[in-house]
Amino acid sequence: MLEFDSITKSHGSFRLGPLDLQVDDEILAILGPSGCGKTTLLAIAAGILQQDSGTVSLYGDALDTRPPEDRGTVMVFQDGALFPHMTVRENIRYAAVPDTDVEGLAATFEVAALLEQRASSLSGGERQRVAVARALAADPSALLLDEPLTNLDAPIRHRLREDLRARLAPLDIPVLYVTHDQSAATAIGDRLAVLNDGVIQQVGTPATVFERPATPFVARFTGHDNVFDGTIHGGTDQPHVRWGPYRLETDCTGFEPSTAVWFSIRPEYVRIVPEPEREATSNVLTGSITNRLFEGDTYRLRIAVDDLDERLELTVLRPAYDRHGLDECDRISVSVPPSAIYLDRVE
Amino acid sequence: MPFQNRRERWAGDWLTVALLLGGVLLLYYAVPILSLFLAQSPAAVLSELAAPTVVSAATTSILSASITTVIAVCFGVPLAYWLARTTVSWRPLVDAAVVLPLVLPPVVGGVVLLTVVGPNTALGSIASSLGYDLTGSLIGIVLAQTFVASPFVIVTARAAFAGVDQDLEHASRSLGKSRLTTVRRVTLPMAWPGIVAGVTLTFARAMGEFGATIMLAYHPRTMPVEIWVTFLEAGLGNAYPVAVVLVCLSLLALVALNVLGSDPWSE
Repeated sequence: MLEFDSITKSHGSFRLGPLDLQVDDEILAILGPSGCGKTTLLAIAAGILQQDSGTVSLYGDALDTRPPEDRGTVMVFQDGALFPHMTVRENIRYAAVPDTDVEGLAATFEVAALLEQRASSLSGGERQRVAVARALAADPSALLLDEPLTNLDAPIRHRLREDLRARLAPLDIPVLYVTHDQSAATAIGDRLAVLNDGVIQQVGTPATVFERPATPFVARFTGHDNVFDGTIHGGTDQPHVRWGPYRLETDCTGFEPSTAVWFSIRPEYVRIVPEPEREATSNVLTGSITNRLFEGDTYRLRIAVDDLDERLELTVLRPAYDRHGLDECDRISVSVPPSAIYLDRVE
Repeated sequence: MPFQNRRERWAGDWLTVALLLGGVLLLYYAVPILSLFLAQSPAAVLSELAAPTVVSAATTSILSASITTVIAVCFGVPLAYWLARTTVSWRPLVDAAVVLPLVLPPVVGGVVLLTVVGPNTALGSIASSLGYDLTGSLIGIVLAQTFVASPFVIVTARAAFAGVDQDLEHASRSLGKSRLTTVRRVTLPMAWPGIVAGVTLTFARAMGEFGATIMLAYHPRTMPVEIWVTFLEAGLGNAYPVAVVLVCLSLLALVALNVLGSDPWSE
């Protein structure tokens, strides 16, 4: 287990922590925007940066005073950091433990054909494969991956994502996987930790974090584009959210009346309501379309909600969009199913 | 696309102009050296090669420049690495100290050195009492050359080290290699061409050093001092062949070091 205990680190106006995090023998994806401190956290674990206070330990041994080479934590860098003056074979052998099967490892990562090539001649995807193979050859006690897929084209990234998950999951060591890409984080991580401004916002399984975001930031960062503030009205058994002049029914229970809440509405659940059905539908909002973005299979619409200074986003499949014959500036009525509203107390 | 072509032609035109402008300087470098060679009959140069004073001066120059280069590398390359990697706030002061001998006129450098190692100074007299003269000796030549020439290897090697991505060093250490192994197997091989360029410059500068040398060590004569003395005593015509010998030696050193410094991993 890799453990961060009350870690802090400041540079300039940025401050990381105090941060506590336990990484079991699992893949923990650290998800956060650039500048949130996730790479700083990796560098502290690797010994490249020294924390201001707090302790990092690996299976109970404090690492703080150890130089990077004596930690057993191997870091894989964003661009691979392969040694360009060496061949792929020399790179993998560079720190390999005795009796490492270089050919076998290269075959696992599909770089066997490149073994005699200079590392400087590889493509981005090949570089990352070699970088991970090189890290595993050193028999790490913990693996630290810093956005290894960020600079790759989408198809290669998707492919490598699956491969990484398949190779890293059976390792039985703590693996920290840092990324700003939510799809990579959910695809690779057993658990997610969402980091913002140096503070961990939520730790949990990908499903929990995506379905039950702990803070408005987590909600927005995991694709809940519609996050608003409201107030609970009605009884505890069947509450509803008061949002300006609107009254939104919700399936969420257990909130006292007058509780200030933030709530999110997933854009894909918002439905266009034809005029004749309006009266018979619950949770109807009206407004006008301010933006329309063609996304291939879908249109993404942004609506200025009537009587509110808020914008609601929804995604509409092309056939539905064409059927309604919509355009920018058109008036529109939409409904939000009660089950599509997720809400939590404002802390 | 015509626009693209026009743009390319535009860039091409500018490159031609740049070459023409630079060409003026190139001619200015090459023509005097060519004319120096053409002014001499090969026989005159060969006869000078055999002259005991020239042989002695060439030996002194090559020996002293070699010692200077070794000293500059031993002390300068580690400093260059430190300069490339340190984050201390007073690094600019060290930078300035390194560049100081470069901006100082060499004769002034010689004067400055005399205040520390001159025969009447404490250091000079202690060394002298131990049998080592710091002036008028090979040691004096090396002292003068080191002062003037060693910054070249520091400045060049520093740029070479700075060009090595620090993540490569971090990766190496994260993989379990010590700082020393990392420098030996990652940093030095990658910075090698730059370091060798610095060594070449230092050696060439040491070979040609005159101003500080003549202040510290008129004897034994180095090649530049020999040329100067010949010019004063026997006129310009007699100095030419010795100059040709020095140019040849310098070019030879340049070629040798360039072969050594060729990118070791280029395909």
